[in-house]
Amino acid sequence: MDIDTQILVKSAAFVGAGLAMGLGAVGAAIGEGYTAAEANGAVSRNPELSGDIFKNMLVGQAVAESASIFALVVAILMLFLGVPLNNLLNGAALLGAGLCMGFGAVGSGIGSGFPGGQACVGIARQPAVTPRLTTNMLIGSAVCQTPAIFSMVVALMLIFMGFDKAPLGPTWAALVGAGFSTGLAAIGSGYGGGLAAGASCEGISRQPESVGNVTTVMLVGQAVAQTPSIFGLLVSFILLFKRFPESYELQSAMALLGAGLCMGFGGIGPGVGNGMAAEGAVKWVARNVKRSGELMRIMLVGQAVSQSTAIYAMVVALVLIFVV
Amino acid sequence: MGAEIAYTQKRYGTTSMMAAIFIGIFFILLGHKTQAKGLILGSIFSVLNFVLMGEILPLIVGPSRKKSSFISLGSIVFRHGLLAVPLILSLKMEWLDFTATVFGLFMVQIMIMGDHLLKRFHRSA
Repeated sequence: MDIDTQILVKSAAFVGAGLAMGLGAVGAAIGEGYTAAEANGAVSRNPELSGDIFKNMLVGQAVAESASIFALVVAILMLFLGVPLNNLLNGAALLGAGLCMGFGAVGSGIGSGFPGGQACVGIARQPAVTPRLTTNMLIGSAVCQTPAIFSMVVALMLIFMGFDKAPLGPTWAALVGAGFSTGLAAIGSGYGGGLAAGASCEGISRQPESVGNVTTVMLVGQAVAQTPSIFGLLVSFILLFKRFPESYELQSAMALLGAGLCMGFGGIGPGVGNGMAAEGAVKWVARNVKRSGELMRIMLVGQAVSQSTAIYAMVVALVLIFVV
Repeated sequence: MGAEIAYTQKRYGTTSMMAAIFIGIFFILLGHKTQAKGLILGSIFSVLNFVLMGEILPLIVGPSRKKSSFISLGSIVFRHGLLAVPLILSLKMEWLDFTATVFGLFMVQIMIMGDHLLKRFHRSA
């Protein structure tokens, strides 16, 4: 029995590490690819600025790669930390950590590529505002990393919190569910935040004098776009810290796993939707600065309505945890 | 193009290493030698990764699409493999602190952000 447990925990660590790094690489690679694709267009539009464009691309890609470095850190920890192999719950925690970090890095990786690409196009269009564009790109890219940081926090908690005193059933499902909740919900928020940041770079290059208003609306839009991933984080914390009575009935485990899946999937759409609302607002603020107050209000109302589906998902997740 | 990239590499590489050494000395003075070593090791690999990114960039742009894709994929695999080295070392060696090593791996990104935010602050002041 001991040998079986050891093999299962080790296998969970290997699969978890593979998921963390494999999925974590997907987002960053797509984001970096988008930046490079837009840089090509920018160079062909304004070849004499190729040096500035490639410099911006290099800096943008370095920041966009952060999400995959988070995933690398979590994967290496799972492989080499030496988690005790005598408890099956450690295996569930490692699998949950891998899922959380892997999915959580996808949206941030893709999203942080958008401002990089749009900044390259902007430099070709308006070389005079290159420093402003690069700064705005970096701020936008950094905010995009927030959902990946949330995922890394949950993954590290799953790796380092000990679950020795908790019963195997249904805690195993709560740990895997905690990984799904933050990991999946972070996809939409990371991607959506990137849409807003990309639109701000495009907007600044069209109307350089609108930089203040554009950056403000971008940051407000990105902050609201992060909300679904915060809901995911909240559900993960409840699943991690609540003590569940011992039960080996399948339905009680599935209720906790379902709670994590519900909040995780339920957070993807609102995160992307909020990002689209912010993208539209930022884009039009740059074209009509005088109406920025009105545009921001419309964005916030749209985001609030888009957010409601994430709230429904959170309510159902809480019902699954506390009522079912 | 090459000169601009080389300038960016040199600038952020030097700043990152100087910051790592400065913080490392501060840690050593406070008696935290393992943190200092971890931070400096992580920063060395962070700079190496950034330098490799810049060196490989012109190779990706020039050749055919097939060759560019192959070089890009190889670059990602190689650079992430390289970044894994200090992490594994810090988990295996007691004289290296893991958290400080992770912090060091983000030194270039921190310096890029810090540099641009400082410039923004000066512009608005």
